[in-house]
Amino acid sequence: MKRSTLVRDLKGAIGRHWVLHTPEDLLVYEYDATIDRGLPEVVVLPEDAGGVARAVRIARQHDVPVTARGAGTGLSGGAIPCEGGVVIVTTRMNRILELDPENQIAVVEPGVINLDISRAASPYGLYYAPDPSSQKACSIGGNVAENAGGPHCLRYGSTTNHVLGLEIVTAEGEVVLLGGKTANTPGYDLTGVVVGSEGTLAIVTKVIVRLLYKPEATVTLLAIFDAVTQASRAVSAIIGRGMIPAALEMMDKNTMEAVEPFVHAGYPPDAGAVLLIEVEGLREAAQEQADAVVSICRELNAREIRIGLSQEDRDKLWAGRKGALGALGRLAPSYYILDGVIPRTLLPTVLDGVYEACERFGFRVANVFHAGDGNLHPNVMFDERVPGATQRVLELGEEIMRLCVDAGGSITGEHGVGYEKRNYMSWIFSADDLEVMSRLKAAFGASDAFNPGKIFPTSKGCGEVSSRMRAAIAKVGAGAYV
Amino acid sequence: MIAQATVLDDLRAIVGDKHAYLPDDSPTFAVDGMNPKAIVEPRTYEEVGAVMRYASQAGLATIASGGRTKPDIGNLPARYDLALSLSRLDQIIEYEPADLTVTCQAGISVPELQRRLRVHGQKVPLDERPGKQPSAGGMLATNSNGPSRHAFGELRDFTIGMRVVTADGRTTRAGGKVVKNVAGYDLCKLYIGSLGTLGVIVEATFKVMPVARIERTLAFRLRTPGNACSLAADLLRRGLALSYLQLRGWNNGANDSWLLEIGLAGSEGPVARSENELAGMAADFKAEVADGDAPVNAGATDSGESKEARGLLCRFSVLPSRLSAFIGGLQALEPPDMVAEPATGVLRASWPNSAAALTLLERSREIAKSHSAACFVERCPPELKRRIDVFGDPPPAFELMRRVKQQFDPNGILSPGRFVGRL
Repeated sequence: MKRSTLVRDLKGAIGRHWVLHTPEDLLVYEYDATIDRGLPEVVVLPEDAGGVARAVRIARQHDVPVTARGAGTGLSGGAIPCEGGVVIVTTRMNRILELDPENQIAVVEPGVINLDISRAASPYGLYYAPDPSSQKACSIGGNVAENAGGPHCLRYGSTTNHVLGLEIVTAEGEVVLLGGKTANTPGYDLTGVVVGSEGTLAIVTKVIVRLLYKPEATVTLLAIFDAVTQASRAVSAIIGRGMIPAALEMMDKNTMEAVEPFVHAGYPPDAGAVLLIEVEGLREAAQEQADAVVSICRELNAREIRIGLSQEDRDKLWAGRKGALGALGRLAPSYYILDGVIPRTLLPTVLDGVYEACERFGFRVANVFHAGDGNLHPNVMFDERVPGATQRVLELGEEIMRLCVDAGGSITGEHGVGYEKRNYMSWIFSADDLEVMSRLKAAFGASDAFNPGKIFPTSKGCGEVSSRMRAAIAKVGAGAYV
Repeated sequence: MIAQATVLDDLRAIVGDKHAYLPDDSPTFAVDGMNPKAIVEPRTYEEVGAVMRYASQAGLATIASGGRTKPDIGNLPARYDLALSLSRLDQIIEYEPADLTVTCQAGISVPELQRRLRVHGQKVPLDERPGKQPSAGGMLATNSNGPSRHAFGELRDFTIGMRVVTADGRTTRAGGKVVKNVAGYDLCKLYIGSLGTLGVIVEATFKVMPVARIERTLAFRLRTPGNACSLAADLLRRGLALSYLQLRGWNNGANDSWLLEIGLAGSEGPVARSENELAGMAADFKAEVADGDAPVNAGATDSGESKEARGLLCRFSVLPSRLSAFIGGLQALEPPDMVAEPATGVLRASWPNSAAALTLLERSREIAKSHSAACFVERCPPELKRRIDVFGDPPPAFELMRRVKQQFDPNGILSPGRFVGRL
């Protein structure tokens, strides 16, 4: 493979300023928000679908894989080029192309930041509902690839429920429109399968999203409990009584201890768990639901309930939740964010199992998660410099995923499979199930073209591949980089 | 081609003598007037798998069915050898009310499923037509839904898992049973609305929702569709406790009768507030309260959807902002009976007794095109169906769709010819 001709061809097609290939430039693109790394051979930043299509065709001619990258905030290594090749970065494709308030639709390029859609829609009383916690930084293209979630998915659903259509570039370098602006576009729902396909089927170059009207009233409640079990019971009781709050989040004792010194949220030092509950809708509906939540939490012996009505008070109640991950980062040099799902009625048992496993492995864990839909996020704190620690954390992660699967759940609720969890896929899917998925990939002509090494189980490790890549780059002259 | 008698014997070896038989004179399993060579009614997923393995080896074109409430949907089948009835797969597999999820077999009738959920104050937000017994699998395969999709989502939004038997007889799983799940490709989306052309849906897991404490329907008469659409848009902006919006118009000579049905759902406070506001708004849009609480059913869809009808029934998808102009266009053509969803822009128009169905269809498709709307023919006389693709022009992604079909059904035995572009 001639890297120099690949670089030359890409420069010719995209413009020489938008093709990065020196070792120091490439380093910036070898990681996302996960533990592992993988170095691309070339990075390109096209400005439109035509540029993406040209880059894909050139990569195919040179027989190297293509990995798309948005803001690089992903939590499953979706943007990491496991097998090197070309990384197509969408940050220059960051225009909101259309905002149609009458039809509650926006058409955006993949590099648009999630929160910017809501900002643009706000003057019309509209917003874009999916709100991953990285929404100030993450791009809509990445959200589409991973089918990103967030706290408010409980009521409004994940990315897939808000995407009406896509423009994609296929593995052959064709630009194709899937779905559209209207309901019931004819044919198979290809939009529905490309969303959440982790960049393995196509590269998204345009996204048609649905916007929602902002609710008239929102009430945020924070309920403090002595024990996680009580808080879990409150979650079950709220859902079981036929209420679907907009958000229903839990933070455990370890999380609160980490957060308190920085956020000063006023969490009692001996509290076991807090629930953050948001209800919204018409004033009357929000008030009624808030009252119901208060009475359920009281019945289940919440020791304190705080209520936020104004934006300012609500922001204060959310501050601890939103600052949680940042605060955890100060407790340990590294933390490993897990993502698993269980039927919500099994919260108390599975959480017990999580604590037990962490204790056995000797790691501290902080649980901060979307309790309402059973989406767990145990954050395991560790020190990557301690020999063997990373390996043991990964083993612990595997055990926790097992707990989720044994409970009838899933190995990922919103972060994606990536390469780290690809070998767990066979825990929830049979060889036949996976074979059918691979047929879809074949139909897109994308067998090894896009983001190879992701989703499907394999014996090949991404780490090994990336080490080989590093060795290769070192040979080309990156003396400082090992 | 294998002899009919051999097929029958082979199928009976799988499902037993009683559950494989030859069609009689009744059109129970007919699709667009075509009768199958044999009918088979498996009871387990394994039997469905064995039937499909057999069909695959013998090259039998197979059409699966449930409640058969929309037997003629889609293009004319290219071939039709085997009717695969799923009506014996009618069990609820798992229902945990506190998890708000239910797993059921494909053949269960939706009214039965709703009855079982209602015991626990829950439901799946499907709009099955009154008096019909569609199966859960049938609604999935045809992606059937109604006006409440705007408030509660479509099948694609609340179907979280499926079991599907492949063309070559393997029982496979897509999705799961938890409400949030991004593991692997979301094949449920692909199967929903695929008209049985990619696999046989044998089981589904749905998110369920609580039944509202109060459900109420109000109806207003309006002078023009424009007024009705503006009123609907205003209602949506206010975020009132709506469960659905449906606009009916029918051809009574003058065609100046428009009825906007407004479903409200929720608890006392929000519903009362919504009703009050609605009363205040009605005057601004020259809307008069229609007599009685129940809407006047002009039969706009029912006449078109009944099995005997020979007229033309089209489903259009328009941008909501263009709905009223689009309705105007259709009326200028030849006023149809129509039912529209102002919130989603979906419109069903029926010309029950039109002699010139082809011309009407061609002209209404031109109007649709000028409004960037899609047009799907839900029903038309068989002689017309032979001449058209009911889905209209192939969509831009048709080549990808063709390849998907090729991958999932390489021998072309699953409802061949019935889907978009005769896939």
